[in-house]
Amino acid sequence: MGNLVRSFVGHVRAVATGLRYLLLPNRMTVYYPEKLIELPEGYRGLIRYYPELCVQCGLCAMVCPAGAMKMYVKKGEKRGRPGVNYQRCIFCGFCADICPQNALEMTKVHDVAYEKLEDMILSPEEFAREVRSPALEEGAVKVKVIFSEERGLVHEPA
Amino acid sequence: MGLLEWVLELLLSPQVFAPVVFPGLVTALVVLLTIIWAERKIAARVQMRVGPLYVTRRFGGVLQMLADGTRYMFQEFIIPETSDKGFFVFAPVLALAAAILPFAFIPAAPGFAPVKHPLAALGVLASLSAAPLAVLLMGWSSGNKFAIQGAVREAFMTLAYEAVVFLSVLAMGMLYGTLDLEEAVYRQVIPGLLLNPISAFTFFVGMVMSAGRLPFDIVEGEQEIVAGPYVEYSGIVFGIGMGLAYLKLYAFSLLFSILYLSGWEPLLPIYSVYPPLGGLMLFVKAYAVMLFVAFLRSVYGRYRLDQALRAGWRIFLPLALASVMFSAFVKVVVYG
Repeated sequence: MGNLVRSFVGHVRAVATGLRYLLLPNRMTVYYPEKLIELPEGYRGLIRYYPELCVQCGLCAMVCPAGAMKMYVKKGEKRGRPGVNYQRCIFCGFCADICPQNALEMTKVHDVAYEKLEDMILSPEEFAREVRSPALEEGAVKVKVIFSEERGLVHEPA
Repeated sequence: MGLLEWVLELLLSPQVFAPVVFPGLVTALVVLLTIIWAERKIAARVQMRVGPLYVTRRFGGVLQMLADGTRYMFQEFIIPETSDKGFFVFAPVLALAAAILPFAFIPAAPGFAPVKHPLAALGVLASLSAAPLAVLLMGWSSGNKFAIQGAVREAFMTLAYEAVVFLSVLAMGMLYGTLDLEEAVYRQVIPGLLLNPISAFTFFVGMVMSAGRLPFDIVEGEQEIVAGPYVEYSGIVFGIGMGLAYLKLYAFSLLFSILYLSGWEPLLPIYSVYPPLGGLMLFVKAYAVMLFVAFLRSVYGRYRLDQALRAGWRIFLPLALASVMFSAFVKVVVYG
């Protein structure tokens, strides 16, 4: 009998907790296409290639653990330039780290979608293009994540 | 002219208006569309999310279910090779009919009952307890192991709640001295919830069990047996299966409001214009009860079948019996 009473009290408390959350909601969701979280320094998003800095040493292709980076050799040239296959890339950032010229950079863009699988294989020319976030292109507002002790995650306009 | 008047009179008569328009079929459809949205929205609020939003964004995505329904409508209705085809098609219709039938006994306002009968409460319960048979048939005729498991679970659950619900109503019937729902409202000096809280509690739990809402959505068991008896259904019939639980919940909520929340009291003055509109309070109360049941989804996880059965037989059945005795006591004290 005492057990039953205790369990009833437990149920009431559970419902009360639920009601408290219902009446004082603490939303943490970011309305993504309209708002975009500002990412921290050192975020490893899509990679950008700067061909003018590149010395074509091929270290990036050598170090790539996923075999995503590949050197493309043009006709008439002796050494190739890197292209990336995003089907394989694990965004570890080794290529950007090992590059002696800093010709590879990890950007903060991560929300690019490709229509076809073949589109994910970038040649050196495509790889050298600026990477743009489609959400930002359509006018998303950047927000900053702040950790608050009472409310958990709070998003403020950056 | 005579024909038009006759049609209008027929439509506005309690026998047609109450089951078909308010609080019956048409209202039930609106309730169905909004309550599923509300359920998702409430769960989202508690779980720190936003919930459905992009369909009619200005109103918080209230038309989401209409969009979903439209999608169901245009989906192909697949009849599996291995199913018992006749019953497979017939069973959902039967289930829906059983879920709609109770509205023939639920009065909308004083003097505005489709079927005024001294045993109206029993009529509601009887037609509601016919629905599980149709669900059993749905599962069985699907010829799918998950569907049969769901059907068997439905049968078990029916055993768990049926006696509890009937005994709770019996307790109230004893207290009011009648099973006529209209009379029951008149006899409530204070809401039945205060007169006999034990009966209200057991009826409420039985109602949640019957409608298959959390924590008793064992029949559907989304994560274990996919959708239970409805697993082979597609298109609009799947929508019917989904709406079935809510229809039952709506009928039960109306019954709960009549028996325990003093029905349509306070009667709105619009009653003199057209009677059922005065009974709008009944609808508001029933809707609030439904919202509370929907809210429970965000609090509870699912019970196991044996836990639910044990709760039904070991806790709620004795409680329901106790509520009958409590009713006898209250009847002597309050009604003399």
